[in-house]
Amino acid sequence: MIEFTEEQKLIKQSVSEFAQRKIAPIALEMEKNKEIPQDVIKGMAELGLLACTADPAYGGSGLNAVTAGVIAEELAKGDCTGSTCVFYLVQAAWGFLLNKYGTEEAKKEIFPKATAGDWFLGIATTESGGGTDVVGGKTNIKKDGDFFIVNGEKMYISGVREAATNGGGHITIAHQTPELGSRGMTVFYLPLTAEGITPTYIEDLGREGISCGGFSIDNVKIPKHYILGEENKGFYIIHEGYEYARALIAVICAAAGLKSLENGMNYAKERKVFGQPLAKFQEINFRLAEHYTKLEMLKRLGYEALRAIDLEQEGKGNRFETSKIVAMAKMFASDWACEAINDALQWQGAFGYSRECPDQAAWRAVRSFSLAEGTREVMKMIVARELLGKELISYK
Amino acid sequence: MRFIVCVKQVPESNDLKIDPNANRVLKKGVSTIINFFDQFVLEEASKIRKEGDEIIAISMGDSETKSTLMRCLALGADKAILLNDEKFLESDTFGTSNILAAALKKIGDYDIIFCGNSSLDTGSGQVGPEIAERLDLPQVTYTESIENVEIGKIKIKVQTDEGYSIIESELPLVIAGIPPSYYQPSIPPLPKIIAAQKKPFEVWNAEDIKGDKSKFGSAGSLIKIIKLYKPPKREQGIVITDEPKAAIEKLMELLNKDKVI
Repeated sequence: MIEFTEEQKLIKQSVSEFAQRKIAPIALEMEKNKEIPQDVIKGMAELGLLACTADPAYGGSGLNAVTAGVIAEELAKGDCTGSTCVFYLVQAAWGFLLNKYGTEEAKKEIFPKATAGDWFLGIATTESGGGTDVVGGKTNIKKDGDFFIVNGEKMYISGVREAATNGGGHITIAHQTPELGSRGMTVFYLPLTAEGITPTYIEDLGREGISCGGFSIDNVKIPKHYILGEENKGFYIIHEGYEYARALIAVICAAAGLKSLENGMNYAKERKVFGQPLAKFQEINFRLAEHYTKLEMLKRLGYEALRAIDLEQEGKGNRFETSKIVAMAKMFASDWACEAINDALQWQGAFGYSRECPDQAAWRAVRSFSLAEGTREVMKMIVARELLGKELISYK
Repeated sequence: MRFIVCVKQVPESNDLKIDPNANRVLKKGVSTIINFFDQFVLEEASKIRKEGDEIIAISMGDSETKSTLMRCLALGADKAILLNDEKFLESDTFGTSNILAAALKKIGDYDIIFCGNSSLDTGSGQVGPEIAERLDLPQVTYTESIENVEIGKIKIKVQTDEGYSIIESELPLVIAGIPPSYYQPSIPPLPKIIAAQKKPFEVWNAEDIKGDKSKFGSAGSLIKIIKLYKPPKREQGIVITDEPKAAIEKLMELLNKDKVI
């Protein structure tokens, strides 16, 4: 297990206090109201949690990936709905990408507003025809003098309402040289307040405090300083953002699952059935032991994946090794957490199935993560690719 | 001015474990936090500080206590001192106040020494007053807030059984603070936590603070704990959720039934 630094321990404590004091008591209410209250967003900003991976020069906290994971873990323990976790993780992961590949001008424009909680910085790569298969997307970008013109659509995107209403935008990807396939794609920042953007909204199963939706992109003109990295190199760049988010998701799933296990365990210790505590039944204590072991393994692997990202940024890691460990960490994250939470619901009887039980919200939130930021199936393809070699890649 | 804040690391109240053989509260392997009252006085010190003033946080403990002092640095202290030596082990309040007083003498030139009114673990409330005695300083306990401070003089609001009093004192003095009911401890933000890592942090042992070593640790302690145990868990009380009139009737019925009234 990674030994946290003194700084990370203090950050963990601060975020834990904030999450337990400010988020946990109103978490279920966020879902009813379909929004994260402004005072929570501002509180996260004041603590330095939003786009925390951005350099301090742009208003960020300049955190590394492991420290970003520490924050994700504590938010997941405090927010059973996962809404603030998504709000946080997207901006941490894609803030990392903007910080690394964005132009000075873009960073100076976007980060101060995102870190203050005024703007939302999201990720929008999925389209109605495909998500993890990025190359299968239809959105295109064309150069027009000092500007670029974007056309297409994005779908199943988190934070559309937040960015379209309050300001901000999403990091996205489009074909610039379609005939080159993955080698002809460009990553850029797309403001959702731009002329030509028309948002639509979708009711998600869970994490309802943050909006989900899509938007059509009709001749949207963006300045060239919104391009991230080199043109036509976007396919490679975007995966660094995905991997950052995937590793954070592994930690979030583990923390959410462990929190529900704790709730279920506390209930099973108190609740008496046939004259003895529910927890005494082997059906429950064996399952508890199995889930706990799996989720602790998951959490540790999640942090190892985050450390691999940090090592790579320090020039001590390997791109493909990072991809592999991140994919390993995310592969079963949602499944294992869902299984654990499902059992925790079962132990809590009828209360577990009620909307008052925080764990039902946690189940709905965690369920999304076998899809979001790369499906479970693609995680297997990545690991197999790294084990078998490129000549046996299943998707080529 | 120089303000010194004495802090203690305590186990989280819901995670209190007792070693029945040693008759002491276990600190290893349990989650620990800064004593609630100590964070309050640190925040009070931060409120009254002016440009050029200095806040020093000081604590006696093992290496784990570093995290509590780092939190103090993130909450506004300029410097932290950890008093760490095997000779300090097994100190009761008498030994602890001797050690702290020796360290405070070494720091010198203090204007206000802040302590929490008591600690969440043992809760004796003796260390602050004992420090004042050893340093021959005036002391004000149950301090809720500092109304005004200027060179050599301070006005303090203290909690009393009847309400509160305003007390004036000369400086230097020892203040033992207790927060008002509405107090919410501040949460250190990330930039301040990061900045805290660069602030001065010193570790002093028994040699560094000089003083009479026979008054440190178990040798200098007067209290002998015969038995330390958790009180038996109380059953949850009765909660009456009726409308006021019906609730009063039900409450009277219960009180009569139990012959309370």
